[in-house]
Amino acid sequence: MALAVAFGLANAARAAADPRAPIVLAAASLQESLTAVADAWARLGHPRPILSFAASSALARQIDAGAPADLFVSADEEWMDYLAQHNRLRPGTRVSLLTNRLVLIAPAASRIRLAVAPGFPLARALGPGRLAMADPDSVPAGKYGREALTALGVWSRVERQVARGENVRAALALVARGEAPLGIVFATDALASPAVRVVGLFPATSHAPIRYPVARLARSDNPEGEAFRRFLLSPQARATFRRFGFGLR
Amino acid sequence: MLSSEEWGIVALSLKVSLVAILLTLPIAYGLAWQLARGRFPGKVLLDALVHLPLVVPPVVTGWLLLILFGANGPVGRWLEAAFGITVMFRWTGAALASAIMALPLMVRAMRLSIEGVDRRLEAAARTLGAGPWQTFRSVSLPLSLPGVLAGAVLGFARSLGEFGATITFVSNIPGETRTLPLAIYAALQLPGGDAMVARLAGISIALSLLALILSESLARRGHRHAGGGDGA
Repeated sequence: MALAVAFGLANAARAAADPRAPIVLAAASLQESLTAVADAWARLGHPRPILSFAASSALARQIDAGAPADLFVSADEEWMDYLAQHNRLRPGTRVSLLTNRLVLIAPAASRIRLAVAPGFPLARALGPGRLAMADPDSVPAGKYGREALTALGVWSRVERQVARGENVRAALALVARGEAPLGIVFATDALASPAVRVVGLFPATSHAPIRYPVARLARSDNPEGEAFRRFLLSPQARATFRRFGFGLR
Repeated sequence: MLSSEEWGIVALSLKVSLVAILLTLPIAYGLAWQLARGRFPGKVLLDALVHLPLVVPPVVTGWLLLILFGANGPVGRWLEAAFGITVMFRWTGAALASAIMALPLMVRAMRLSIEGVDRRLEAAARTLGAGPWQTFRSVSLPLSLPGVLAGAVLGFARSLGEFGATITFVSNIPGETRTLPLAIYAALQLPGGDAMVARLAGISIALSLLALILSESLARRGHRHAGGGDGA
């Protein structure tokens, strides 16, 4: 009993004296933008959030397995829904934060010209090459990509040529290095790499709207997590996200 | 019990590992022989280089393969131009990554067995008039053979488990480079993929266990055969 009280007091004292840095798990496509937002937050005198980037699918599975994190920013609503169904989110903290678009990219030096439209000759443009994209079975950028190509009626013709990256940045790297002649990534990813150029923008009607929800995790006990979540919605943070090419909700 | 997709993954894994080991076998034996018997400057360095894939992060090995053997890499371009071979995004690339990761384990096992060959038997063969090549073929090689097989099986097991270098180098393509570990990784990210993960993990463990037991029993036999004294 006495031990428990002493322990509680020590915890409270530490929380008051030394705010802990919140741990944020975020979609790989947020790498540069969220880092910039976290830097700005730290400059305001807060402990710098610890950021971990990976495929939303991989992060969702880690959270479901009990990862001790405070916030999750997903690149699609589905993985957030999955965590909500498993009671891993703190009720009332889920907000749709950003939007994005899907683009077809090629290495910067490539001369490929293609109009992204129904039935467009993607297979012919690829030739024997691979189409780099995030894993269409699970990773958001890949799921949107498959949805868009299916809607445009070309998925079945290129399906066997897809090189699946473990997240969208792995797909971006394959095109940037010239190993794949074409790839599908988010518009913001293409903007982040000078080694690729955008061949075409996928029609917004060809896939579900790309939305990035943020939520605080049920097991988060760090108030800094909530403070940083609110900062993500502030005009300052939103201006930063816009600078990196994201749309705002 | 397994779906046809899962059998396909197992078959691909076995193919990749088998090819990796068959390709590495002569190279590993040559290196093991040099490290066991050779006297040359730089032997310590060669020893360290051979063991490098065992300790360097697999993602580093994968990255080096990517910049050397990729479509724009110097070796990749040469292979394509000279032989029309591409390894990038192909199962052959997965085999190459596995081979490099398995090499140190194979060399270690083979080197031990070569060092265990009783050199008096080789000397006896020479006094009976056998040349160096005939001595190697009829004495040294057969005596070290169980160790060679033990090394090959161990390398096979290692190569079945290869993940980091493979996913970095040839990405995760179903039917082409998606071997057991990569398939498990992909299934882990699917909601409801747990049953598939469990099945594939079970197969992984069973295959590894089998290979380890086989390798160990071969190594013991090799010790009995080549060991100086206990009834060889």
